[in-house]
Amino acid sequence: MSERVDWFYSFRSPYSYLSGARGFDLADDYDIDLRFRGVIPMMMRGESVPISKRIHTLRDVKCEADRLGLPFGRTHDPLGEGATRTLAVSEYANDRGRAREFVLSASTGIWAEALDPATDRDMRVICERAGLDWEGCVAAMADPAIAARVEANTQELVDIGHWGVPVFTFRGEQFWGQDRIDDLKLVLDDAGLSRA
Amino acid sequence: MREKLEKEIVPGLIVAVSTFTLPARLAAAATRAAGRRGRIELFYAYDEPTSAYALLELARTVQGRSVAIGLVPVVERGIEGDSAAERKRAYALVDGRRLARRLGLTMGRGEPIDPESVRFLAAWTALGPQGPALQAFAEEAMKRLWFGGDGDGPVEREPYAALWRERLGSEPPDENSSGAQEALRANERHMARSGPYETPAAKIGGRWDFAQDRPKRIGAWLDELGWRAS
Repeated sequence: MSERVDWFYSFRSPYSYLSGARGFDLADDYDIDLRFRGVIPMMMRGESVPISKRIHTLRDVKCEADRLGLPFGRTHDPLGEGATRTLAVSEYANDRGRAREFVLSASTGIWAEALDPATDRDMRVICERAGLDWEGCVAAMADPAIAARVEANTQELVDIGHWGVPVFTFRGEQFWGQDRIDDLKLVLDDAGLSRA
Repeated sequence: MREKLEKEIVPGLIVAVSTFTLPARLAAAATRAAGRRGRIELFYAYDEPTSAYALLELARTVQGRSVAIGLVPVVERGIEGDSAAERKRAYALVDGRRLARRLGLTMGRGEPIDPESVRFLAAWTALGPQGPALQAFAEEAMKRLWFGGDGDGPVEREPYAALWRERLGSEPPDENSSGAQEALRANERHMARSGPYETPAAKIGGRWDFAQDRPKRIGAWLDELGWRAS
């Protein structure tokens, strides 16, 4: 049985966006059970983020995105309804084995195409290009059971004592930040989980 | 309209402006034309293993470049009212262990260091003469604090005083003097004005980066500014 790696992710975090493709690649490269866990953004959990941090984050992410060859800059901050709807559909996509497609579609839309997931027009684009049926997505966005799953993911992040995203956990060890994926890989290598 | 401004236009502008590096490159060229060295400031804290890694890594990065490290030790820092401050301190140990591995070092501690117990090191460095001797002291002190074999024992002043004498050829400054406290406060104010809200952070050419997270980018930025290794 594969060992489990949990991946806590926020659609409002540009660092989560940077971790996107490389995060999903872990499941290709290692014999692991990768669990995508979408969480509610910090600012919707009552945490404050100073303006200096917000400005630095945008500048820092632009540099990192350039380094990784990812588009970045035409953004639409999904804070509020956009984040809530995206999280709900990510659960729905997960159930249909299309988490990778949806997460990358939504994150790219938010951080590189200025798509607003709070609107049906843009959300539909995000969903359909990820191979999801729009009617199912609409139902997921209104489903209290799915909202409860997102709440549970968020509570689990709090319970493990972490505050930010993206965070990967493996055997109780936390790896915070898209720039720590290589360190996680070293640990997975040491654990003999590489498929290479 | 306000929502569009906040969620799209302003973030897009911030990103666009951040890619405009010509003024920084011109300023660096002017510094070289005047025969002066570049200066990269490192805002750091002795009670933090990530700062230890950042200092050692930055020293490697500037090797062979006409760039000096300006040491800016601080004690008080961080986001005001940060509810995760204590968890971040604990996590810094986990992260520091991984970063040490990158340098081929092993963390010697499993518990955080109380910032007050190493305030004297910050005060000494804040008062010391900037230059290679002070940098050598800071690097050696960090190695002893975090990658030495002392484990989680208390930080004793005397071994560090001996190191200071060895590296700087004088008695260490009085860490309890009003001048020492003022020098630290001045560093903390300087850090707040310069942009970084947490340590370790390195700043040159009007741009700062978290020094434990972006060592390669700092090197690339120095290259872009024309401070290439000879």
